[in-house]
Amino acid sequence: MKVNNEFKGLLPALFTAALISMLPAQPGAQVREESHGVVLLRGLPTLETAHSIAIVELDPEQENFGEILSEVTQPDMTHPLHHLYYSPAGRLYATGLDPVCSLAEIGLERDATGAPQVTGFECLDTQGQMVGEDIMWHSSNGTEYMFVTFMGGTGGDDGGTLGVFDPQTNAVVKVIEARPSQVGADKPYIMYPHGISAYQDRMIITSTVHPDLATGVGNALTVIDLNTLEPIQNIVVENEKPLGFPSSPVEVLFARPSMNENIKPAVLVNTMFGFETWKVPYDEASKTFGDPEVLYSGAANNTAVPLEFYGTDTELFISHALPGVVKRYDLAKLPDLVSSGPDIQAAPGAHHMIFFTSKSGRDLIAVQNNLLNLGNAADNDPTDVDFIAALNAHTITVHDLATGEQLGSVNFREKYSKGVDNLEGLFGSGFVHHH
Amino acid sequence: MARQRWIATAAAVVAIGTGASYVIRALPPDPTPVADFSAPFVFGRFSVPQDNPLTEEAFALGRRLFYDPALSGGNDRSCATCHIQRLAFTDGLPTAAGLNGESLEFSSMSLVNLLWGQERFFWDGRALSLEQQALLPIENPQEMAQDLEELVRELKGSRQYRRMFRQAYGEVSSENIARALATFMRMLISAGSKYDRFLRGEAVLTEQEELGRKLFMAHPDTKVSLRGGNCIDCHSQFLTSGFRDGLDGFSNNGLDKDVDLPAGLMAVTGNPAHKGFFKVPTLRNIAVTAPYMHDGRLQTLEDVMDHYNGGVVVSPTLSPLILEADNAASPPGSFVGLRLTDSEKAAIIAFLHTLTDEAFLSDARFSNPLEGEL
Repeated sequence: MKVNNEFKGLLPALFTAALISMLPAQPGAQVREESHGVVLLRGLPTLETAHSIAIVELDPEQENFGEILSEVTQPDMTHPLHHLYYSPAGRLYATGLDPVCSLAEIGLERDATGAPQVTGFECLDTQGQMVGEDIMWHSSNGTEYMFVTFMGGTGGDDGGTLGVFDPQTNAVVKVIEARPSQVGADKPYIMYPHGISAYQDRMIITSTVHPDLATGVGNALTVIDLNTLEPIQNIVVENEKPLGFPSSPVEVLFARPSMNENIKPAVLVNTMFGFETWKVPYDEASKTFGDPEVLYSGAANNTAVPLEFYGTDTELFISHALPGVVKRYDLAKLPDLVSSGPDIQAAPGAHHMIFFTSKSGRDLIAVQNNLLNLGNAADNDPTDVDFIAALNAHTITVHDLATGEQLGSVNFREKYSKGVDNLEGLFGSGFVHHH
Repeated sequence: MARQRWIATAAAVVAIGTGASYVIRALPPDPTPVADFSAPFVFGRFSVPQDNPLTEEAFALGRRLFYDPALSGGNDRSCATCHIQRLAFTDGLPTAAGLNGESLEFSSMSLVNLLWGQERFFWDGRALSLEQQALLPIENPQEMAQDLEELVRELKGSRQYRRMFRQAYGEVSSENIARALATFMRMLISAGSKYDRFLRGEAVLTEQEELGRKLFMAHPDTKVSLRGGNCIDCHSQFLTSGFRDGLDGFSNNGLDKDVDLPAGLMAVTGNPAHKGFFKVPTLRNIAVTAPYMHDGRLQTLEDVMDHYNGGVVVSPTLSPLILEADNAASPPGSFVGLRLTDSEKAAIIAFLHTLTDEAFLSDARFSNPLEGEL
């Protein structure tokens, strides 16, 4: 009888447990995603991790700050995807460093709770163009195309192409190629193109560095006539050589009135190895470019490796990988660089960034701090490149946009044994004009 | 004694078994999350109430309720009386017809993509959730004139409804009627139009449609020679509905003088600044939802374009985005409007036709499940 009494005593608990198990599931509602970032993560060879695309929470006010919410790995690729871009139609693309996937479209969808999911990626046919860098959508003769810079082009020591794609079908429409060794002296050439920007019928691409970082380095811009889709001019942007290399122009921004009506059109360009930011005036009536001039010298201001241009409605931001700062300027004063506030102190490798609001409504900036995740000596990593290893904090730091105060940091190497190569806001987080 | 003990034990076993059986029947099994749920990422974020997740059982129940005339006091009209699938869940009338044939105040709103867009429902935003919205027409004496307690009694008298409610929620109640109807409406997702296929890279717009798309997406700016139809200022790029944040999805679009302006959102908020504000509707399937505006006063899409092109009536609460949208560098000042050319207006209308989703309009999942039963 004692046993029966004990059984009787357990009945209420068993009954309650049975009731609970029968209740419908209560999936969490998806209430805000302004602070979600899409990141491209690089598996580190000595840490035995795979490259991946992931969605990560970046609001320090959220309990799950730094957590990966969705992830798709790329186990079959030697090199990861490189830069993320949303098309005007809301499709997500990524350029890639691996020759088997130099350009890809990434799938995103939502589950029945509204939560965003990365569903995979499809590598696109680039007709042999390799090492995809930047993408922009722009019109040529009234038709919109997707333009992609391929720093490796179709291979060779002085390669590099500008790929023109149908934005609907992703099919290659044209490969614009003009190797210095083929076009001849004093003819406009394309070599190691990386940065890209456009205004009206003129597109600018930069000549940066051979993908092996050893064969060659560029020092010029190439002007593309969008009426003919042909290169028509090179503009050298080179002054100081603090590293002894050519200047290596990297990202470029065609400042234009659509960004702010006060802006007179001009090209801004950062030189990765010259440490400078240049301005090239543009006269839209005559469609001619003026003499380039240095607006900012990293050598004189103790910064190095300027990289990206990003903008909000009121400010332009330029990342400098060393010491790892983001400088900010008054957007309405472009193309001149008029400071709009103190530097945002990020971390070595300061590179891509996004803007969003916190749960409490605070305006934030998140900065991805890595130049390239090529490993470091401490890991005895076979891909180690010493000077680049110094530019890899492996973090995304999050700061108050108004004050620059750092509010949080996610160290991807410590947390996930991966590096973080790129950062973009999840769709809906607001777009920026970094081209 | 042993016999008595055996009988008592048997009785206890029967009692426990009967009780367990009752519990099992009374409690819902785990509802099934909707299978193969698919929503375009570009539509943006959405949220579903935690106490009403999207499940197959709730959807099936909601669909049946939506089409069942038993929901009205006279058992003669259902939600579908005013929300007809082939008309994108509108009714083709200027304003909804009341029980006695009278014209009601507002046009029947299209029910599509309600997971996104404004989080207030009805033209004047008086409902703060779909669950709240779902019961108001049922109780409205001019619409379905049904007493909710009576409705619950009726539904409890149906074995099929008892089973469906049990599977979806547990019990028949007015709250669960609302939840089921809300689930059905949340699942009315239209994402198969030519425009959707264009966004996915599966279709190419004609030259005229593409011009219309560009005009739709542009606010005119004479300083940079940008011509625009100004549609996107109120109708978002991908959803083509009003914006979600706060009351951004409500606007006075210049139909009436101040003296004639109906209260609109002001009736809900009490704020005079909201006088004449109405919910910016989705433009999905707009070609099949004539007549247009909250009171159905405009018969055709051409009439709508003519309104925005030169028929805007100025009042204190007129949307500033409409007031200052003009494609002329030096407007004569005689009227407020876009001053688009005839071919530009035709292009925008051509684009609006690309928003028709034939698959949605005939999707069997959203059709009347009672057909064939009645």
